[in-house]
Parts: sequence; structure tokens; C-alpha cells
Amino acid sequence: MARLLVVDDERDIRHLYAAELGDLGHEVETAGSAAEAAEALERSSFDLLILDIQMKGESGLQLLQRLVRDKLKTPVILCTAFGCYKDDFSSWLAQAYVVKSSDLTELKSEVIRVLGKNQ
Amino acid sequence: MEFSCWQKETITADECPFVAAGDHPLLFDRRQRFLRHCVNCSTCLQSLAHVTPGDGVDAALPPLLIEALCLHQERVRALERHIATRDRELAFLHDVGQVLQTSVDRDEVIAMALTAITSGKGFGLNRAILLLVDEANERLVGHLAVGPREAEEAGRIWHEVESLDYSLIEMGERFFREKMASEREKFGPLLECLTTPLAQRDHPFVRVLDARTPYQIDDLFAEPGLDREQAEDLGVQQLILVPLISRDRRIGLLLADNCINRRPLTAGDLHSLETFALPVSFAIERAALYARLQQELGRVLEAHARLQQQQDIIVRMERLALLGRLAADLAHSIRNPLLIIGGYARTLLREAPPGDPRRDYLESMVRESRRLEETLQDVFSHTEELHPTFGLWDINRLLAEVAGEMRDDLALGRVECRLDLAPLLPAVRVDFRKMHHCLRCILNRAFEGSLAGETIVIHSERRQDELLVHIRDGGPTLTPEEIATIHAPIDPAAGDRHLFGLSLCAQTLREHRARFLIESDSVRGTHYLIGLPIPEEA
Repeated sequence: MARLLVVDDERDIRHLYAAELGDLGHEVETAGSAAEAAEALERSSFDLLILDIQMKGESGLQLLQRLVRDKLKTPVILCTAFGCYKDDFSSWLAQAYVVKSSDLTELKSEVIRVLGKNQ
Repeated sequence: MEFSCWQKETITADECPFVAAGDHPLLFDRRQRFLRHCVNCSTCLQSLAHVTPGDGVDAALPPLLIEALCLHQERVRALERHIATRDRELAFLHDVGQVLQTSVDRDEVIAMALTAITSGKGFGLNRAILLLVDEANERLVGHLAVGPREAEEAGRIWHEVESLDYSLIEMGERFFREKMASEREKFGPLLECLTTPLAQRDHPFVRVLDARTPYQIDDLFAEPGLDREQAEDLGVQQLILVPLISRDRRIGLLLADNCINRRPLTAGDLHSLETFALPVSFAIERAALYARLQQELGRVLEAHARLQQQQDIIVRMERLALLGRLAADLAHSIRNPLLIIGGYARTLLREAPPGDPRRDYLESMVRESRRLEETLQDVFSHTEELHPTFGLWDINRLLAEVAGEMRDDLALGRVECRLDLAPLLPAVRVDFRKMHHCLRCILNRAFEGSLAGETIVIHSERRQDELLVHIRDGGPTLTPEEIATIHAPIDPAAGDRHLFGLSLCAQTLREHRARFLIESDSVRGTHYLIGLPIPEEA
């Protein structure tokens, strides 16, 4: 079992991801913004961060750069509605990039892959 | 009646004011004195007018008077011939001058000039050869020769000219239209042989060109500096060389000879050709300048058309980008709710036991949400390219890429583009595609404002929290009013299309929160400055 932090400014998406990933046997915590995520990361440690990009306030990519600068080792999966951020150099700091879909198969596979790699 | 001195065999120097100090023999030679001076002396003529049969004038007077009359008649005829010749020459120079002054076709000018030199209605020399200065290759190149090569051909041509009775202008036009190419081919080997390097300073051709004064060679084989092969190919002994100079610029050299009838060349021939060479030089220079002007105009028009084309593309892309942004925003707002609906439907479906009647509803929800997601994905894949993709980019790479894309245009316009890029600059957050269009548009504009031989300088540097890009061109292109228009909000209804591209640039840079300054003056040219904020994360 791993500890995951889901960061998305859509409440229902957070709940959906928490339920689905929880069914895989993981312990899932959620945050509604980059600031909330930063607080959660200070408070406790996580095995994986699932991060939306376009959010109100600080974007997922800016948070990701901050985490890398602060030398946080937690692996990150970027999960966004847009495919175009793959062109942005800073998105390459994440371990995986998933385009959002109601079918969570790809997200779940990436979670398993990234966690397996970092064990 | 008392007669004057004309009747005396011998006179003293005091008696005739016309006998000069060196003409003393005339004092003792009545006949010579009468023919040379008395007939021009008013006292003498007055005295002769009053002679009557009873005056006892001697018998020698009538033959003397007749001889003086004949002499005068001969002089009058000579003068008439001279005037007729000058009249003809004036008319010919007038005709040729008209063509030389009005034509802007270099070959037409040359055809007329060489026809004038070789035509009987012109200077009447047998052959004319033109050599032109090729500055690029530093050579004096044989360009065209006109005239017969041998007596038989000369006879045929002169007979034809006589029977057709063309005017000089008609002959020149006919030569230009019908015979120029064949004449060039006919004299090809000779023209090639006469081609001389300008560095060969002791060669008579180069000497004449450098001295800028005409010259007559009386024995080609004895002329120092002239190649023997050239003398043999010319096949004459005498040759006139006249330099063609226009506004202190060496245009070429005119050679003329009488290779067929071998009539000796005279100082008069040399002088006539020297006078003629001046308008010919100007006409050739003007025609060459006109051709170059046409060429430059063609280049400018081509560049203008390309710029127009690019502006159209920019405008179209702006519209598409706007459309893309709308579509992407719409798709994004639908996608999240759809994800939630479809996601929960899948969860519920997974949890519903087999045979549960709600499974049908849930399956429908999953199927329809998937279908909608696929449709949205299609919209995304079409619009994402136009959606702004702000990211961290190396501005130097972008500048090098844009300059590289314009390499052909710059080479065509003979404009140099120098990249002076500071190393190790931080990445800046830009929308790559829009910034690319923006830089391309500015560089295009700088190119348009530059003349051949000028240099556009692209310079990048870091100054505090800003990354600066300078683009400088050599020519004044924008007035303060135009610069104000560029920075004003875009008015799609405004017709000033040539500033539209820069207006779009200004808008793009505003979106990037970047500074955009334009300075334009007649001395330093135009300076475009872009100041991009350096992000904290960089």
C-alpha cells in the first residue's frame, strides 16, 4: 500500500480519483490547490503525487518546479485535460504525463508503473 | 588718276599694311601680292572700281583678276563642302543623340553607337569594337564589334545599305533587332582575344582607359604592351582608341579602324570619336543603371509580395488561434464534468451486481460519455496546436531559428544578418509559436527597411530581471505616428496593412508582459527592443 496525494481544483475529480485509487489499496489524500498540496507535503510524506496543471493560483507545473528546487524526491504524475503541456520543458520533470479521461485505466497503470519503479 | 600700290611691280613696306615682317618677298612679287592681299584690300578694290579704259592700266591685270576670282570660287566650294559635311554630322549627331538620350536598353544604345561609327551617314569608319569594363572580374571584356570582315562582305553590305537608303536611325534599329546576335557571334573569337585584364597596366587599352584620353596607334605591331596575337587578330596597322568615361567611372573602350578600305585614320577621326564618346558613355551608364534599378525594383516587389503573404498568414493564424482558444476553452469546460459523470458511472457499473436493471442505464452513460470524450479529443487534437502553449524556451535558439528561416530572403536581397547572442541566457516563459511569428515579423520588417549591402544585427543580453532582444536595421522606416499606431490597440477596420504585422507583434508582446520599444531615425536606422521578464524559476 502506498500513500498518494491527488491535487486537483475540481472537487468531484478529487473524490473520483480518491475512490478509484483507494480501491487499488492505496491511501489517498487530496488537495484543492498547489498551496494546499504544499501544506500537505510539509505535514507528511507521500509515495506519489498526482498533479493537475491548470488550477486557480499556482499552476501544477510551477508547483512541480518548486518541489524539484526543494529537492523533494516524491515522484509526480501530471494529469491534465491538455496534451499541449508536453511541449513545456518543465513538464519533463514529472515521471508520467496522463491526459484526463473518464476511463481511469491509463492513470491506474501509470500509478502502478511509477510506484513499482520507485520501490 | 593716280593708282595705288597694286599696279606697281615693287613697293616698300610702308605702302602695304598687309605685308607682314616675314613676307618681304611679296614686296617684289606683284602677282603673289595681288592674289594674297590686294583682292582683300578695300583701298585697292575701291581703286579698281574706278578704272576706266583710258586710265592706261596694264594688260596683266585682267588675268590676275580672273586668277583671283577662280581662287575665291574654289575656297567658296571648299567651304560649302565643309558646311555640308558639318550639317550632315550635326543631323547625324542629333539623330543618334535622340536615341542615346531616350533609350534605356543598353544593347540598343550600343547598337546605335557602333552603327553611327561605321555607317557612311555617320563617321564612315569600317569597323567599331566596344570593350566594357567588368569590375567584378577586373577585366576589359570584348562586348560587341560591328563591320565587315572582308572586302567581299563589305561590298555586299555597302551595296545593300545604298540600295535600301535607310536613315541612320533605321540602320541602328535594324541592326539592334536583326543583326546584333549574329554580329556578336561573327566577332566572338576577336572579342575574346581582345579581352584584357585591367591589372595589365602597360597594355595600350588599359593605358588609354587609365589616362582617359583618346589615342591613335599608327603601327599596331610596334605598339609597346599590345599582345602580338591581338594585333594579328585585329589585322590592321592603324587603330583609334577612345575611352568611355562617365562621372569619373570607367565604362569601357571604343576601338575603330578602316580594316577594309585602309583609308588612313586622321586627327579629325580621332577628334570626332572623342566628342561622340561622351554621350555614348553617359547613355551606356544610364542604361546599366536603369537595368540595375529594374532589378532592385523586382527584388523589392518580390520581398513586398512575400511580406504581404506573411502578413496574411499571420492574420489568418491569429483568427485561427482565437477560434482555437475558444474551442479549447469550451472543450476543457465540458471535459471535466464529463470525466466526473463517466468516471462515476464506471465505478457504479463495476459495483452493480449482474442482472441489476440499472446496469443498462449505467452502460449507456459510460458508452455515451466515452463517445463524447472521443469527440472532444478530436476537437483538442485540432485546436491544441493553436492553443497558447506558454513554456520555458531558449530565446537564442528561437532567434537563430527565425534568422535561419530567412536566410534565402536575406541572401536574395544581399542583406547580411549578424547574430550577436549572449551565452548562457536563462529560459523565458513564452508561447513559442506566437513569439516565433512575432520575431519573424520584426525581422521581415527590418529586412524590408534595409538596402543591399546593409546589415541587420540581432543582439540578446540579460539586464537585471529582463532578457533583452535588440534588432537593428540600417534604414529609417517608421515615423513617430506609425510607431504610435503599432502600439495602439488593433483596429481590424483600419486599412494600414503594412503596420498590421507589427501591431500584432505588439499585442503578442503585451500578452507576454514584455516591453516593446521602437526607435527610428535617419542616421541610426530602426531599433526594435523586446524586454522579456525572466521568470523566477529560470
